[in-house]
Amino acid sequence: MSGLVFEQVSFSYGQAACIRRFSASLTKGELVGLIGANGSGKSTLLRLGAGLLSPDQGQVTLDNRPVRSWRGHERASRLSYLPQSLEVPLPFRVLELVEMGRAAGRHQGRLSAVEVLDMVGLADKSGLPLAEISGGERQRAFLAMTLAQGGSTLLLDEPLAGLDLRYQYELLALLQQLCRQQGLSILLSLHDLMLARDLDRLLVLRQGELLADGLPGELLQPELICRTFDLDPAAQRSLAWQQAGRW
Amino acid sequence: MKRHPLFIMLGCLVVVLLLSLSLGQQTVNIFDLDPLQLKIVLELRLPRIVVALLMGAALGVAGAILQGVFRNPLADPYVLGTSSGAALAAAFGLLATQGAAVWLVPCLALIGALTTSAVVVFLGRDAWGVRAERLLLAGVGIGFFLSAILMLVMSLAQADGVKRALLWMAGDLAGADWALVPAAAVLMLTGFLLAMSRRRALNALSLGDELAFGLGFEPGRERMLLVLAAALLTAAAVALGGIVGFVGLMVPHGVRVLVGADARRVLPLSAVGGGMLLCLADTVGRSALPPVEIPAGVVTALIGAPWFLVMLRRGIR
Repeated sequence: MSGLVFEQVSFSYGQAACIRRFSASLTKGELVGLIGANGSGKSTLLRLGAGLLSPDQGQVTLDNRPVRSWRGHERASRLSYLPQSLEVPLPFRVLELVEMGRAAGRHQGRLSAVEVLDMVGLADKSGLPLAEISGGERQRAFLAMTLAQGGSTLLLDEPLAGLDLRYQYELLALLQQLCRQQGLSILLSLHDLMLARDLDRLLVLRQGELLADGLPGELLQPELICRTFDLDPAAQRSLAWQQAGRW
Repeated sequence: MKRHPLFIMLGCLVVVLLLSLSLGQQTVNIFDLDPLQLKIVLELRLPRIVVALLMGAALGVAGAILQGVFRNPLADPYVLGTSSGAALAAAFGLLATQGAAVWLVPCLALIGALTTSAVVVFLGRDAWGVRAERLLLAGVGIGFFLSAILMLVMSLAQADGVKRALLWMAGDLAGADWALVPAAAVLMLTGFLLAMSRRRALNALSLGDELAFGLGFEPGRERMLLVLAAALLTAAAVALGGIVGFVGLMVPHGVRVLVGADARRVLPLSAVGGGMLLCLADTVGRSALPPVEIPAGVVTALIGAPWFLVMLRRGIR
């Protein structure tokens, strides 16, 4: 099976088990959300997917080979990973960032830097340093970098965190468009359940275990949300009440 | 368009060189020299200028590397203590051989720089990796300690060696001669080429280890190679003229303002800018208050220390 596949993956930092027997795979053209409370293992799972961490048991395969067995640039041309913290102390410009991504992917047919910038709507900002653009634009600049690598799998750790609602929806719309039009498969972690509603599929994590895997409409029910986030009955009633109006 | 900053800097460099050849204890017109003046220019000023250029270039590039690798705009070989480590090791060599062994001093400087880098990086990290503030504090602390040992060695040593070693501490280029240039140039060129060959990795590392990994690099390995390159450059600089601070701190910043942060441009231009700055500092030092000569390292510190504080005030982002 091509693409990214987690098979019975377990991982622990020292003693505490962090991910337990997690299995899932990404289908081409699918925008998948990873949901769970703080510390449920979302970031760890994405790091395992990116090959940054090695599973204790089970395996993570990318295009039918363990992700860590690929050589660096071969992996980078297939899979892009965007961590949560994107602090850049030096004054890189938007175009330089995209060129770095482009240099990392080696295969023919990847898009030019200009095409990628156009896609994320930053064509007119390409010459600006990262410090001089808005948070939403920064996030899109980094997304452009990962797109320029030319891979078909994207792992994004909280790409919507810290953005205004408008930027969140813009970025989400862009990701959806990339999945539909370019056939990318994207796995992103997120907190906001309202935004999660708009994804193709959700993976729900609780204490490192896969609690549910399915369509947002089916999963975003008060009982499951309360189990996921360990909410008490009062919160559950409030959620049910809200759902009647909003969800 | 991209070429412009390089041409501007090379133009400035020529001006600085002409100034540096002309000015000093005695101001001369370099296009109309009498035999005595020719002797001054060729035998005193020229080697000094070459040493200043090489040394400044090495420091500028080393600073650019360290700032990228450690994602810290306040890093440079002086602040991180590697200059002090190199100087201490080299001073032992100088005292032991009375300056006779031309290759021993740069090699000892390299060992000193590498050892100090390793210790500072070890002290500057915690379970999650190298921390910017911690690294700086470790560097400053180690630097103080090594400088103190260097002073101790000097005060215990024979008078002749002391003078030589003292010049090292202050970064005085008055003793510059051709003897150490070949060995230092080899170290420097090796370091520069190593850094240039890893320029893409340097860019990626300055985005953080996780992004660098995502871009296909092995962060640990790349960091080691780049720190090695910086140590080679620092050792070359220290072997040539001792401890000169702040060149590696200021030059890469200026260059980034001109051309952005891409290491492919920052590394070569930091070499040009560093050579230019140190040459200028040395020229100012020997012509500002004749007959007194101010060591170049004092001049760079007089400019660099306030700069450092301004940067600090702006905050380590």
